[in-house]
Amino acid sequence: MIEELRKKAEELLKNGTVKVVFGYGEGSVPERTRPVFITKPEDVNKLTWNKYCVYNLTTYLKRQETRKLGKPALILKGCDARTIIVLLKECQIKREDVYIIGVTCDGVGDPLAEKCKACDVHTPLIYDDLVGEKRENKEVPFEERYAELDEYEKLEEKDKWEFWQKQFEKCIKCYACSNICPLCFCDRCIVEKNQPQWIDPSAHPRGNLSWNVTRAYHLAGRCINCEECQRVCPVDIPLNLLNKKLAKEAEKSFDYRPGYNIDDELAMSTYKEDDDEDFFK
Amino acid sequence: MEKTLNKNNFDSFITGLKKQGYKTIAPKKDNKLVTLDEIQDANEISLDHVITNNSIKEYFLPKTEKILSYTIEKNKVEMKEPEGFAVKSVIFGSRPCDAFSLPVMDKVFNWDCVDKFWVERREAVTIVTISCDKFDSYCFCTSVGLAPDAKQGSDVLLTKISNDEYLVETVTEKGENLVKELESVFSDPPSGTPDRQVATVEKKFDIGKIKPWLDDNFEHDVWDEFSHKCIGCGACTFVCPTCHCFDIVDECSMTKGDRVKNWDGCQFKMFTMHTSGHNPRNTQGMRWRQRIMHKFKYYVEKFDSTLCVGCGRCSRVCPADMNISEMLEIIETEAGK
Amino acid sequence: MDNIYRPYLMTISDMIDEAPGVRTFRLNFSDEEEGNKFQYQTGQFGLYSVFGAGESTFCIASSPTREGYIECTFREAGRVTKALRELNIGDTLGFRGPYGNVFPIEKWEGKNLVFIAGGIALPPLRSVIWNCLDLRDKYKDVTIIYGAKTIDDLVYKNELKEWDARDDVNLVTTVDPGGETPEWTGKVGFVPTVVEEAAPDCKDTIAIVCGPPIMIKFTLPVLEKLGFKHDKVYTTLENRMKCGLGKCGRCNIGCTYVCKEGPVFTAEEISKMPDEF
Repeated sequence: MIEELRKKAEELLKNGTVKVVFGYGEGSVPERTRPVFITKPEDVNKLTWNKYCVYNLTTYLKRQETRKLGKPALILKGCDARTIIVLLKECQIKREDVYIIGVTCDGVGDPLAEKCKACDVHTPLIYDDLVGEKRENKEVPFEERYAELDEYEKLEEKDKWEFWQKQFEKCIKCYACSNICPLCFCDRCIVEKNQPQWIDPSAHPRGNLSWNVTRAYHLAGRCINCEECQRVCPVDIPLNLLNKKLAKEAEKSFDYRPGYNIDDELAMSTYKEDDDEDFFK
Repeated sequence: MEKTLNKNNFDSFITGLKKQGYKTIAPKKDNKLVTLDEIQDANEISLDHVITNNSIKEYFLPKTEKILSYTIEKNKVEMKEPEGFAVKSVIFGSRPCDAFSLPVMDKVFNWDCVDKFWVERREAVTIVTISCDKFDSYCFCTSVGLAPDAKQGSDVLLTKISNDEYLVETVTEKGENLVKELESVFSDPPSGTPDRQVATVEKKFDIGKIKPWLDDNFEHDVWDEFSHKCIGCGACTFVCPTCHCFDIVDECSMTKGDRVKNWDGCQFKMFTMHTSGHNPRNTQGMRWRQRIMHKFKYYVEKFDSTLCVGCGRCSRVCPADMNISEMLEIIETEAGK
Repeated sequence: MDNIYRPYLMTISDMIDEAPGVRTFRLNFSDEEEGNKFQYQTGQFGLYSVFGAGESTFCIASSPTREGYIECTFREAGRVTKALRELNIGDTLGFRGPYGNVFPIEKWEGKNLVFIAGGIALPPLRSVIWNCLDLRDKYKDVTIIYGAKTIDDLVYKNELKEWDARDDVNLVTTVDPGGETPEWTGKVGFVPTVVEEAAPDCKDTIAIVCGPPIMIKFTLPVLEKLGFKHDKVYTTLENRMKCGLGKCGRCNIGCTYVCKEGPVFTAEEISKMPDEF
């Protein structure tokens, strides 16, 4: 598979289809990979593929530094490719501006990442080329997809509150969660705005609560569950639990799962004159 | 002064500290993390980690702290000084790299004018360090002139000499006083040369080659190339024991408020942005260069210290696996060209 | 131990609107004793704060020769300056300072002076201009070249009139092309261009330049062309600052901390700094 990826990348760079390939390279330690940006065909050997390829490389579509490298080809797993569908729907990218090298995937992380346990996108839903053997994407039942929430949902209201208070207390406001998120693409994040000061910048309980809740809410009905926020959190806040809870509520309310079908209307930003909700009219 | 401390006596040591009115902070396991945190009991202490996830910094420069409180009534403002921020404490079981960050940071917080929030805490806190008997591939203390059993910055240094025994060396008068205060928990020093169980951390680069290269290479492709993967968050700077940059903001209601000092970091694009929108460090490459330059050139020129203790935390937490010692190895290679 | 972040309480004793969005406050120390002890020199800056909104950095715009008060001029741009604008005469604000280095006006004695400013950057020069004019005998010819986008945007309109009326000051005002009206008698053109036409001979002359980064960038080469040696050209820099005390770590240009080693620099010093403005 690595060879196939390298060959594909080399071909795309050589024939000028793309200027850069966003892929995975060897990391600091064997248990890590890192994003690499291959601009020269002779560098494709820097590309690798293994179970540590956890990153969702679509996040580099929002960064000016990597955008400047020119039209990219992205190596994307099924979960990551869902981001592309959301970004297209939200008009952040044009389809012709990205080339997708989809990879079929049996799961990443060691131990296996939580997101992989109920994966229904082993084969990406959108790609220009597919590397790896095509696999059937079996539907996973609703309950199974949100099994991670079972224990949490059993908690009493006040215990949930206590749980999050304890978790958010740890927050140091490094904003790794939002910076890594491919869907946190606001040019100026709400936390960077101070007129009015919506979110206290301090990492005290009030500031941390408002930040973490606002971040999660902004992803409700948009988050594609790549778990990157949780992976990068230096203080180990289970951010994806929050994302997942909101995803579940969004799915229940709107029967919508982001990043599956390019023809689906967005849950949170679709206007209809005959909307069920009065406040829309 | 030299003594020994048996692991079995940790309990009485911690109880003793409590009796003497010290708040005790020690490495504590919390799910996947080991953090320096307040403990009540010796069995909360974790000893089998390489390094704590958080650095010692937050006990001297907290992630957020009040530097002024005030009340506003019509057009009358009354200011109140924050109190009680310097609490008599012992930090037990921090690492030598963390301890060394303190005298390094003393320099900037005492530069010309004294930041009392730092200095008063420094006076109130006693540092009891445990030498490292293990390390991981991110550690590079020896490359920045330190050692896994370095004493600078500690008041007392503990070094493992057998499975359950530590050699206790007092480094400062403050440390000596602490040991005297709790004399009964310590034993006499061993006769002969004890077998100090100290990790051997390999040198990764020659620090002597770094600054001369930085002096000449403010403009260099490596800054952009290396930082393409950087996502522009503050994880590296916030876990760093020597990154001391901060923001000052006001938080208030209609009638009262606080002026607050918060951690801030050079990797954020907003860090240097003028109100006009002009930004002197407009790209991540420039911001990454600032981080390296500040640590290995600017601080050296200003204060004759490297602003890095080789703890490796920034590399461990980096969401994109930016590895600072790797950057320095690249610089070393470039310098040799 | 003293709290270096503790501001002086100041009372607004007067205010004047200088240009759209630009206002000057005259500030008196709420505590008279503090005021009596307070000393500063021209070129220095401070952090002005609105309690509840935060601190903002700008220069002291008045001259130390005018005792008993300080003045600041600010343009409403961010959260703090917006809150400053909402204050009235009699209200209290905070001031920390004076910080930074100074214009070495004693070194300039016996020389011609040319002050060059653009837009909202006149306030830092206003301090040193008045300082030198209050010691007028010590200096030879004084030229002031000041430009803004439009006539409206020129700040200190009253003082410009005053300087214009003095026969010991040569004032040249300019507005950007399109910023003029039919009645405008000043020049039309960007500051660097006007400097080329209106600057005095470089012999025995000190140039003091202040403006937005882009103006400085284009004015310094003009001065060089006119024969001004780098060590005879001064400027004052503004970078984002939070502490003003060399600790918060954001105002540095290369190794130089603008808050401590600046804000006043010679063009020679600037030329040695890395390109990070």
